Amino acid sequence: MEICRLPISASQRGKLISAGYTSLSSLSSISASYLAGELKVTESEALGILNVASHSHCGGSEMSSGKSSIIDGAQSAWDMFHEENSLMHITTSSADLDNILGGGIHCKEVTEIGGVPGIGKTQLGIQIAVNVQIPRDFGGLGGKAIYIDTEGSFMVERALQIAEACIEDMSEYNRFLRKDLQACEVRMQPKDILENIFYFRICSYTEQIALIDYLKKFISEHKDVKVVVVDSVTFHFRHDYEDMASRTRVLSEMASKLTNLARTFSLAVVILNQVTTKQTEGSYQLTLALGDSWSHTCTNRIVLYWNGNERYAHVDKSPSLRSASAAYSVTPRGIRNSSSSSKRIKMM
Amino acid sequence: MRPQNLLQLTTQKCTTGCPILDGLLRGGIPCNSITEIVAESGSGKTQICLQLSLHAQLPVSHGGLAASSLYLHTEFPFPFRRLHRLSLSFVSSNAPHLPTNGNPCDRIFVQSVHTADQLLEIMSKIEPFIENSRGQPPVRLIVIDSVAALFRSEFDNTPIELKRRSCLFFKISSELKALAKRFNLAVLVTNQVVDVVAPNVGINGLKIGNLGCLYTSGRRVCPALGLAWANCVNSRLFLSRREEVIADKNGKFNGESGECNQTRRQLHVVFAPHLPESSCDFVITRDGIFGVEKQLLD
Repeated sequence: MEICRLPISASQRGKLISAGYTSLSSLSSISASYLAGELKVTESEALGILNVASHSHCGGSEMSSGKSSIIDGAQSAWDMFHEENSLMHITTSSADLDNILGGGIHCKEVTEIGGVPGIGKTQLGIQIAVNVQIPRDFGGLGGKAIYIDTEGSFMVERALQIAEACIEDMSEYNRFLRKDLQACEVRMQPKDILENIFYFRICSYTEQIALIDYLKKFISEHKDVKVVVVDSVTFHFRHDYEDMASRTRVLSEMASKLTNLARTFSLAVVILNQVTTKQTEGSYQLTLALGDSWSHTCTNRIVLYWNGNERYAHVDKSPSLRSASAAYSVTPRGIRNSSSSSKRIKMM
Repeated sequence: MRPQNLLQLTTQKCTTGCPILDGLLRGGIPCNSITEIVAESGSGKTQICLQLSLHAQLPVSHGGLAASSLYLHTEFPFPFRRLHRLSLSFVSSNAPHLPTNGNPCDRIFVQSVHTADQLLEIMSKIEPFIENSRGQPPVRLIVIDSVAALFRSEFDNTPIELKRRSCLFFKISSELKALAKRFNLAVLVTNQVVDVVAPNVGINGLKIGNLGCLYTSGRRVCPALGLAWANCVNSRLFLSRREEVIADKNGKFNGESGECNQTRRQLHVVFAPHLPESSCDFVITRDGIFGVEKQLLD
């Protein structure tokens, strides 16, 4: 916003412009006494100008943090708290899982999900890529998805099955809760859901690095992308990479790019990871692959594991969620609550 | 880099030659993906591989890939006689759909492999081989029977050797996947089993797939080559066998107790991105491997 549109007297405006203050942001970080000296007016008059300026700054621009911001784009914790509350989550289609995740997969964060082969990582990935498209009327994000497939496990027929079940569930929801509201008819087709998943198949780690670099450009052209699923980040980094130090650098660079994407475009990043055995004090334990320094790079870390004949998810690391486990199952319709209803959620 | 349109990206499947098994596998072995068959010896791994190499030659309209296949075998000798026998019954039941010239065995290229390094060397030659396949239909099925045999003797049980081994796994797998994607190939590998000795596997979380179903000949087993290799395949199938006395269906016998024993064989889906965990009985006959419908068993 320009100075000339401020509701102040013409003489004040003239003084401001002749002293070189042409935009509101130039007024945002100076004190009243400094301004009084610059414009050769009384301090109370300068204070008045600053007040008017900060008011119209707050009201007129999208940045709510006008006067207090030291660096462009900085936010106060209070503002962030409100923003976080207003952000939507991507449901996993299992209420128990959503529960321990604090509502679902969070936007603006990087969530890592790991587990043994066959535990359902890819299934969860496909489910998230479908669920991000649930329209806003149904409590979803109405976004699109990017699916980066490094292992070749993405099956279109499976995605179609999950998409069909998702649409059925939405229609069901419609019938029960919104009998009178005809406006919210489900207009989505399974075909549309598949069309809104941007699928990239990656065959080497160089391709993977190049694609992550390209994502920024791609997403700025497709602003409605609300989730990026990487299935899996690990595969191409487990062969051909002799130099472990350089692997760590490349991986953390990739992670920081993904974090930046998540922040800039307020989208969710879901990284699937494999597990490996780690030798500690003579015994072997299962840990997520790629080593210790990688484990710092993701905001949230979810470990999937077998417990008896049931699949469980465990929140292993998160700045805001408590450590908890919940059972889930992989059904023909996708990820759902575990059928055995007892001991569904275990808080620790 | 452009995203692929999922609507044009349907996965082709290669029929196993039996409608019941195809029903369980939703059409057969998928292209552009690695399918592994795990089983103890004598369970029918090689039978399925041979049968698939023949059925890949069927036209696409009949569930095949209209293609030749490449059969890399690491266990000796290669079962030529069995392949010949299977090819006879294959020709007699599918004659109208097959090209009239030549024997179906001519469209199966057999190569023996002795070491893991040799396998890598051969794999680097597969690409020019597929591109220059004149005269025969293009190769669209690669079988490695078995991948375990390459790795079970050559490597020591030390951390460095094991690391070298798992590096090789990922290398082989990624090259297979790259080939599979480039030529839209189906890749079928077989793997052996090892006995599970620990009484409580799963407590440490060391559980790959749902081990509950992996019983064969009354023993508890798990696939060989460990966790690293399990990360390298897209789907894992398990074949189990169990000696049963016909008269008493509940009794389980290990070993031979006369003529009233019969072998009950089952195919289990351990994990696959597109299939639920499920299983189906099958029999091995002179003409190949065939699924048995559930109703007939009861």
